Amino acid sequence: MSLLLGLFLKLSAFSLIAFGGINALLPSLLNLSVYQEHWVDLQTFADYFAIAQAAPGPNFMTVTLIGWHIGGVLGALLATFAIAWPSSILVYYVQRLILGMSNEGKKKAIQYAAAALAIGLVLSSAWQIALQINHSYAAYGLTLLTICLTVFTRWHPLYLIALGAALGMMGLI
Amino acid sequence: MSGFGGVLPWARRTLVEQDKVLSSEEFSAILGICQIVPGPNILNLAVCIGSRLCGAKGAFAAALGLTIGPICIVMLLAVLYQHYSNLESVQGLLRGISAVGVGLIASTGIKMLRDEFRYPVMLLVVVITVIAASYFHLGLGWVVLIVSPMALFLGFKKAHK
Repeated sequence: MSLLLGLFLKLSAFSLIAFGGINALLPSLLNLSVYQEHWVDLQTFADYFAIAQAAPGPNFMTVTLIGWHIGGVLGALLATFAIAWPSSILVYYVQRLILGMSNEGKKKAIQYAAAALAIGLVLSSAWQIALQINHSYAAYGLTLLTICLTVFTRWHPLYLIALGAALGMMGLI
Repeated sequence: MSGFGGVLPWARRTLVEQDKVLSSEEFSAILGICQIVPGPNILNLAVCIGSRLCGAKGAFAAALGLTIGPICIVMLLAVLYQHYSNLESVQGLLRGISAVGVGLIASTGIKMLRDEFRYPVMLLVVVITVIAASYFHLGLGWVVLIVSPMALFLGFKKAHK
């Protein structure tokens, strides 16, 4: 039970600092669950990350899966709730505050600041996660290919995930 | 539920174009706020739109509606994973998907980065954030704490230039 409580408290704290959303949070989540608390091993984390990418729905499913690993259905629900409730309550009040703000400049300043912070966090997250879960040159190549295709074409991400799955199944990655 | 590869485009199509419960400008304004608040962006969006339509109850319903289906699916996948994770083809499949997944995250960041070139000083914030997080391996909380005063200062300048 104390395991679930620890999970709940730690994830709740993460929720309030995850500028840039769950994507920005992934390295901290990896660090916490693999190296500090040893909830899952690195391979399992990478696999859960992959499952969360391939499954429909919001991208915080990596968190749900780690919760499931620790405590079954209860763990999954608890982990999801933990990552969601602090920021949900925050945004509920912040949106009223900001929409009610008469000073247009201040509103913009906050928006610009948060955007830059989020970009930095998301980029470093991608970098750190790549270092942890890509084990071959082929995997790095596929990551780079994905970046090029999404930046320069309008391909739906699902096609890219299917491509990655197919290449992986053939044993190429 | 049909939010493969992100729920956002789908949410926009349904709420703005089909059901017309929000105008396009309203949607963009709300989205802007949800992206600056920490936490799962799409869930923040659900809370904002839900509360706009039906107050706190609406916010709760929207968040629950968004998460419950995908949670069930993902747990089903987790059970399958437990049974088949020792198969070599499954391991390869997941490796391929996670390599693509990392790329998708990186390209989200790169696409957002394009807007920053209109006020290049702001790139300093991005660079310092990346260095603090990736090179010095500071925790998320520390990075946010260290970088946010500078980000706010530059944000203020950018807004008033």
